Amino acid sequence: MPRLLFLLPVLVLFIGFFIYPFLFTLGTSLTRWRGIGSMQFNGLKNYTRLLADPTFRLAMKNNLIWALAQGFIQVPLAALVAMILLRQPKGWQTLRTVYFLPNVISTVAIAMMWTALYNVQYGFINEVLVKFFKREPINFLGNPDFALGAVIFQAVIYIGYFMIVILAAGMNIPRELYEAAEIDGASVFQQERYITIPMLRGTLVTTVTLAMAYGIRHFEATYLMTQGGPMHSTTTMGIDLYDKMDALRYSDASTEGVLLIIFGSVMIVVIRKIFGKSDPMSEMAQ
Amino acid sequence: MKSEQNFGTRLLTIVKWFILLFFLLVALLPLVWLFINSFRSNLELQISSFGWPQKWLFSNYIKAMEMASLPRLFLNSVITSASAVALNIIVAAMAGFILSREFFKGRDTIYTVLTAGVLVPIIAFMVPYFSLISRSGIYNTLFALILVYASVNIPVSIFLVTSFMRSIPKELEEAAIIDGCSFTQRFTKIIFPLTQSGLVTAGTFCFIYSWNDFIMAMLLTSSIESRTIQLGIKFFSSQFITDYTTMFAAIILTIIPSVGAYMFLHNKIISGLTAGAVKG
Repeated sequence: MPRLLFLLPVLVLFIGFFIYPFLFTLGTSLTRWRGIGSMQFNGLKNYTRLLADPTFRLAMKNNLIWALAQGFIQVPLAALVAMILLRQPKGWQTLRTVYFLPNVISTVAIAMMWTALYNVQYGFINEVLVKFFKREPINFLGNPDFALGAVIFQAVIYIGYFMIVILAAGMNIPRELYEAAEIDGASVFQQERYITIPMLRGTLVTTVTLAMAYGIRHFEATYLMTQGGPMHSTTTMGIDLYDKMDALRYSDASTEGVLLIIFGSVMIVVIRKIFGKSDPMSEMAQ
Repeated sequence: MKSEQNFGTRLLTIVKWFILLFFLLVALLPLVWLFINSFRSNLELQISSFGWPQKWLFSNYIKAMEMASLPRLFLNSVITSASAVALNIIVAAMAGFILSREFFKGRDTIYTVLTAGVLVPIIAFMVPYFSLISRSGIYNTLFALILVYASVNIPVSIFLVTSFMRSIPKELEEAAIIDGCSFTQRFTKIIFPLTQSGLVTAGTFCFIYSWNDFIMAMLLTSSIESRTIQLGIKFFSSQFITDYTTMFAAIILTIIPSVGAYMFLHNKIISGLTAGAVKG
């Protein structure tokens, strides 16, 4: 019996912060509830209303754009840099350390920094536009045509995390494979194409899955830089959920939570179907 | 033919270094820009954001310290993150011990369910977390944040700690049992100490999450007593609405602890973070 006591703390916390919240979200999504007072059963009406809501549809579309940008721009860039570093050019260890540096800084600090860089009056980026390209300054975060791209850009160019994961996996590829390929006259590109990429397949699938999962969950940087605006142009499901909760529309917020979980799961299944299996448990970290 | 090949390799070298330098600039240039401007006056910034300060204004930093009550927020963050890490790795180590050493019905199911928690987008749980925390009467306390941070990281920690414990040879414990070691002693004297590097990795994940979290802190706290540093930066950015360079100084101040720790521990942090991922 003391053996089960060892398991108890984790079970209590897991039930409190995973199982109960899941059932609570599922339950309240089927009711009309404003946080206080009684709940009334409402069937699937919240779902049909939310799926027809233009802001929610925009949020879903933006999350999909985030997921694609992270999975198919950020990860390939990270893989490219990792492949170069795997050939151990001069100073590669220092470069690896510096590339990862922004990843230890909080999203909040990075987001505030980029808000300043994008600023119309004094931002670095607008100054470059005006001085070197003789263009009018652009209000990147205040213009619905630019805002989504601007927020995604500042996230996607930080490749550090995926780069070290791919690099660490690449270190395990036996050097002899490259030596043999070299003797057979294979070019650098052929070596990468026929040795590195196939050997890293599992890791690449894992990182793409992880990156796309981040895209579906995206909240912080956008909330900090634009609050989902201007005119909802940068909103995501997480931000829309928060807005609904803030407006005391608790059952709508819960409904959006359920849909967020469903979309996240569907996406992971689809990636698996397309790219094959990877170890699901190495897709960790929130 | 020979010169063509030379040209090819040279071009490849140029492209390679162009890519490496580009990402070096991406990682460093914005931080350097922010750092230099944090010492300049607002007037200088308005005229041009390039260039050295005419006079290095350390007063920006003093103003930032005073206005944002940074020491208090910093202390809150340290207490919250350290407690969350301690709680997380202790409960994860205890559970990992059972899951890697004992056989009972449903053990593998429990392991699968616990680790499958990584797939859940935690932001979907904002309503129940808020409701649970406020009904428990711990809204706006550091304890609420500690509980949430420690719990949210359980799936990752269980995965890392259990797989690490499985690799510890059973013979060590068998010898200890013969010597009269009790069940609890097997954990405290043998398994827990031997799992140290696995616990450090799990702790690193939990610490980075807790230190950097913004969402939960925003959702579950409402006053300075229990606000963390991340929330602080966001809120004092609205106080400094026209005093940009002081705001830059405040951002730099919040970055210093993470960057400082990283400078000393970068090899440990990088190898720790990849230890779990490489297994996949």
